[in-house]
Amino acid sequence: MKLITCLAPILRLSVPLLFVALSIFFAATAPGFLSTGNLLSVLVNNFVLLGICATSMTLAVAAGGIDLSVGTALDIASLSFVALLNAGAGFAIASLGALLTAALVGVFNAVLIAGLGISPFLATLGTLFIGTSMQQLLSSGGQPIYIADQARPGLSNISLFGLPFPLFWVAGVALVYGVLLARARLGRELLATGQQPVFAHYTGLPIRRLTATVSIACSAAVGLAGILLSSSVNGYVPLSGNGFLIQAIGAVFIGTTFSRQGRASVANTLLGVLFLNLIGNGLLLIGWNFYWQQVATGALIFGVLIVSFGGRKLHGFSAKP
Amino acid sequence: MHTLPPPFKQRIALLFLRRGAPLAFLLILAVFALTAPNFLSIGNLANVFAQSAILGVLAFGLTIVIIGGGSNVVTGGLDLSLASNLGLCAAVYASLNNAGYGATTSIAATVLTGMAVGAVNGAVVVWLGLPPLLATLASLNLINGLELVLTENTVLPTSSVLLDLLSGGNWLGVPALAWIFTGTGLLLALLLQHSRFGLRLYAVGEYAEAARAAGIPVRSYVFFSYILSGICGALAAFLSAAWFSGSTTGSGELLLSVVAIAFLGVVFSPRVLPSITGTIFATLLVGFLMNGFQLLNISSFWVNGIQGALILLVVAASSMLRASK
Repeated sequence: MKLITCLAPILRLSVPLLFVALSIFFAATAPGFLSTGNLLSVLVNNFVLLGICATSMTLAVAAGGIDLSVGTALDIASLSFVALLNAGAGFAIASLGALLTAALVGVFNAVLIAGLGISPFLATLGTLFIGTSMQQLLSSGGQPIYIADQARPGLSNISLFGLPFPLFWVAGVALVYGVLLARARLGRELLATGQQPVFAHYTGLPIRRLTATVSIACSAAVGLAGILLSSSVNGYVPLSGNGFLIQAIGAVFIGTTFSRQGRASVANTLLGVLFLNLIGNGLLLIGWNFYWQQVATGALIFGVLIVSFGGRKLHGFSAKP
Repeated sequence: MHTLPPPFKQRIALLFLRRGAPLAFLLILAVFALTAPNFLSIGNLANVFAQSAILGVLAFGLTIVIIGGGSNVVTGGLDLSLASNLGLCAAVYASLNNAGYGATTSIAATVLTGMAVGAVNGAVVVWLGLPPLLATLASLNLINGLELVLTENTVLPTSSVLLDLLSGGNWLGVPALAWIFTGTGLLLALLLQHSRFGLRLYAVGEYAEAARAAGIPVRSYVFFSYILSGICGALAAFLSAAWFSGSTTGSGELLLSVVAIAFLGVVFSPRVLPSITGTIFATLLVGFLMNGFQLLNISSFWVNGIQGALILLVVAASSMLRASK
């Protein structure tokens, strides 16, 4: 029993420790892992889009749901961004249009979840399917649509204070949603709904309104990722958003292992995203082939989950008298 | 406490909701039968059964897990790794078969691979208390990676007596895949809906506390449901390897359809519970939709959307039904 009491905190710390250990390992073995160029490229190329998607997902998970349609919202925002630019609209109008269409996906989810009482998993699964069909029909089966040469926004080349511009977008989204979730009244209410839905209901929290807000906020933010993706590949590639879905869910839950209560928070999610990115990048630099990278990342996520849940279980047992 | 019988209007609504799914199924069949040429020919119907086999067997696996874990999507049973399990098993079978191992060895190793995936999922869900959604999402990643290592993201063509039998076999004018789908479905329906094991599994999924109090080894039952799901993954792998003459890439894309079918199946049961018979109907519904669209020359891009709309419709209806109970 003594052993278990000692073991539990160690297990809880194991994920951050693993994070640090892996970073040191890569820094020692992979040439250039710690160079500014490499770290910056990880941030711009891998961190930004997943970071925005995962931040949105954090909100959904914190409220006790999940959003499987983040990829759909991203794609649809990307599509309308490209379509508006090609129709001659300016960058500002096109961005606004993209955000609005992304938010529309959220409104659709909100109607399903808050209005019709469908569970978030199934509701957003349905949205994902409908979105897939829509994109296939609009892009004649998955043909990319490119932005006309004169309309290209060239966002990725802009830098501000020496940092690439897209980084400020993630920072902005993370700051707003992070503060909202951790400090604002709305965030408290969301967490309460997520963790104790029955109590939240009897306390008189407006649960329907809360879930609707989360759905819309989630999709709208992902619209930003859609704009960034379109501007970096100069076009719209159908169904490219779904690649972020599973990683975003993974990042959120890896993030919860950093928290003592196992709660979702934006800062921890972003650490989770960074964890995934750095492992991928480190394995690439030490020359593992792409397929083994997948195995290693998969095994690591699996290991992290096992350790963290196993640890929490041990902790639970040891806390009993 | 005595509850009043529901008013007449509500009873009609209830009846409609309960029988609505089979009615809709028949309606869709009727529409296709009237509009699509050859839709009702034996050849075409058998074709639909054969084409539904892969998705159907995977959906059986998911249904079993949902029965054993309860139908709450987040805390209940869920196996997101099924489609990737198919991919890995097909890759294992194709590699072993191509490497010259005997039929028994390759088949056994493939089934064992599927079972091993199920065992890992079951173990972390049952003994470590990971939410199934998360556990199987993580194993999905891992399995995808293993499949990539085996196949290097290419198609591994392979052929064997078994695969020839599955793809070319024909009995009474009905292709072998259709027989396998129907046979597996009936067998599992018998096991889950008409045996002691099945009844207990339902008890475990619906009310674990009561099942435990009644002396059912809840954990073993849930664990076993994941093993069964893994076996379904391996079985589907043989069907897929027969259909595509080898292992294919991107089998993970089947996942969402499988989830959709398993949850669609829920409304085909009068008690709005997951069941194998319900899943059979749901699989066939999706199969007939695709087939009818093909015959009518409607773009197959519509199929996903209609599937999505169907899930939403079905789930909204069933949650309304639950609320009015």
